[in-house]
Amino acid sequence: MSPVRRFLSTPEAVAGTILLTALIAMALSASLLFPGDPQAIAGPALLPPFQDWSLPLGTDRLGRDVLAELFHGARTSLAVGLAAAAAALAVGSVVGTLAGFAGGLVDEVLMRITDAFQTVPSFLLALAFVSVVGPSLGIVVIAIALGTWTGPARVARAEVLSIRERDYVASARAIGMHPLAIAFREVLPNALPPVLAMSSVIVAAAILTEAALSFLGLGDPNRVTWGGMIAEGRAVLRTAPFLSIVPGIALVLTVLGVYLAGEGIVETTAVRRGLS
Amino acid sequence: MSGFTISRRTMLAGSAMLLASTAMPTLGWAQTPKKGGRLVLAADSEPRNLNPAIVASNGVFFISSKIVETLAEASFDGKDGLAPRLAVSWEGAADGLSVTFKLRDGVKWHDGKPFTSADVAFSALQIWKPLQNLGRTVFKDLAAVDTPDDLTAVFKFAKPTPFQLIRNALPALSSVVPKHIYEVGKIEDNPANNAPIGTGPFKFGEYKAGQYYRLTKNTDYWGKDEPYLDEIIYQVLPDRTSAASALEAEEIQLAAFSAVPLADLDRISKVPGLKVISKGYEGLTYQLVVEINHRRKELADLKVRQAIAHAIDKDFVVKTVFLGYAATATGPVPKNDPQFYTADVPTYALDVAKANALLDEAGYKKGADGNRFSLKLLPAPYFNETKQFGDYLRQALAAIGIDAQLVNNDSAAHIKAVYTDHAFDLAVGPPVFRGDPAISTTILVQSGIPGGVPFSNQGGYKNDALDALIAKASETLDTAARTDLYKEFQKQVAADLPLINVAEWSFISVARDTVGNIANNPRWAVSNWADTYLES
Repeated sequence: MSPVRRFLSTPEAVAGTILLTALIAMALSASLLFPGDPQAIAGPALLPPFQDWSLPLGTDRLGRDVLAELFHGARTSLAVGLAAAAAALAVGSVVGTLAGFAGGLVDEVLMRITDAFQTVPSFLLALAFVSVVGPSLGIVVIAIALGTWTGPARVARAEVLSIRERDYVASARAIGMHPLAIAFREVLPNALPPVLAMSSVIVAAAILTEAALSFLGLGDPNRVTWGGMIAEGRAVLRTAPFLSIVPGIALVLTVLGVYLAGEGIVETTAVRRGLS
Repeated sequence: MSGFTISRRTMLAGSAMLLASTAMPTLGWAQTPKKGGRLVLAADSEPRNLNPAIVASNGVFFISSKIVETLAEASFDGKDGLAPRLAVSWEGAADGLSVTFKLRDGVKWHDGKPFTSADVAFSALQIWKPLQNLGRTVFKDLAAVDTPDDLTAVFKFAKPTPFQLIRNALPALSSVVPKHIYEVGKIEDNPANNAPIGTGPFKFGEYKAGQYYRLTKNTDYWGKDEPYLDEIIYQVLPDRTSAASALEAEEIQLAAFSAVPLADLDRISKVPGLKVISKGYEGLTYQLVVEINHRRKELADLKVRQAIAHAIDKDFVVKTVFLGYAATATGPVPKNDPQFYTADVPTYALDVAKANALLDEAGYKKGADGNRFSLKLLPAPYFNETKQFGDYLRQALAAIGIDAQLVNNDSAAHIKAVYTDHAFDLAVGPPVFRGDPAISTTILVQSGIPGGVPFSNQGGYKNDALDALIAKASETLDTAARTDLYKEFQKQVAADLPLINVAEWSFISVARDTVGNIANNPRWAVSNWADTYLES
């Protein structure tokens, strides 16, 4: 069986892929389907869903189109989730590889720094960082990455510790390759798969963290975010619950989709490894 | 039992309607107040410093006005809109150089010591004038307070000071604190700032951070038979959505200061046993204002400011952001002010075409992306409505080709960014009108105010004619002439737009039917509640 077919043979992977594809389609088509500013006032305020078919999901407290906000919010969530996860994985694997490969004092120092970051709850760290520096999309990405790079760092280090004793590493040493070249050309690529397996969890966590930050008013106010939409809707929770429920459902489905697809990938690779 | 309650309620509702039909200025029930009971209400902030003589703000008054009293309180039907408290009468000299207060006899501090004119003199000279956020302006020329006897205090001013201003300042600025407590040590560090001692109907009980403030009955209060309540508990409920559910669950009996979100009022007014009251805040009008940084060259151009004023749909703001619980503004004095307001000012109707034309005239043509220029917009975070108006203003500005980028801050960072660092182009602020333009309104446009003073002109605006007018009004003693000067002031502000007044709003209380004597003065939520009572 080809890896793709094997991947698609697990039901959770199929469900996850469908959800993720839908999300990506939403993010990509947002500007085509809803050109212009999604925060523009489009109709009467607090229009309930399914009343006016030009505004299928109704409008919020200022009269903004909830569907347009939902599509543009998908962009923000996905962009922040992917960027933060990429940053966390990049930093984490570099730190882990250096620590594992160099050993000794470098290892000690890097791992104690990792410990220090791990002792602070990652959400608090993000919260503190954003409130000091000020909210904007880039800052939110950095803030989330700040709390999530430690996991990949530890996994990468553990992998590197076992790989560096392999024969091909010894032979690379013997032919006089620079230690950094060995670390990043020979060791890191082989240590990556288990690190990448964590990516789905990290992306899901990053999307949730972004939503939580926006909910607390620490997101980028010039962009639509699902967390911000939920926070806006909270003030009218009893009279217009759809304003919180709609983005809430979108958030749940996204996180679920990312997680299921990630599980599928892990399972597929595990099966392949087990067979080989 | 329940049948009895219902019939009793019906009867009460009937008597309330009778009352309303006679156009009484109060909303009380036609019942003799009952003694006893504990009033539990929602508090949404937890001020640390509870000394109203130093921090004259509504958040502090809400709690400490029950403990520490002022010389006089605002009143719907009293002379000059005042009712006596610690002072029984007040009279200004014709030359504007002195004001004589006769004080109430037989008043005791919560620790048993007698209240005398020495306490008034100490509070005025040592606290109101040098330390109080608002008193600094109003009492700046106060030179001495003579105390010929224990019950007379004569305020002496170095320069003529309008008696009208002093009168209007009494309800908010004249909290009297005990001299014998404050004369030792530094006033700002006195422990009584956190556990106030006053003459009011309630004593400070205890404060548990994040949970509650408890006030207990002052059995030695000067008011006959007052207070009626045994205890007041301020339940800290920082989450605005929880106040409504707490009311419905009968955990609290009162949510003042719009603790129940405006969007919920329609629903909650239909809940049996709860009443929605929009009175009792007439003396606490908040103004929704667009603050402008005139250091930006685009905004220093009057045409650009006029264009922004024409781009704002004030009716939409009142209807959508405030759900009708507000009024559109014409200028720096709110429409509900009985003394100073004039409608005879330049107005700016919603007119996007005219706004665009004004901007073209000013020389800021639309670029290829449809934008003329970009601005930083800082909505104040204190109210949901100020934040929402920020969102609306961004859209309104986009319609005339101005790209506004929102910057959100928490309260402390917002105050620093706008009033100290001047790191804003436009800001949305909620200044308070306190019954006289000289108390907290003229400083919004007057020049020469040092940096870092919150809720003052920090936008670098300077208009010599307006400054001269403000200076003249501050030393005009004749009430009619002074009032006319402030009418002219409103005209000039509306014409030159140092800031843009959008709307005026006040608060809403939601209470259980059992709470009596609610909203019976224009500053009810921040008055002493000596006559508030609970029915069974």
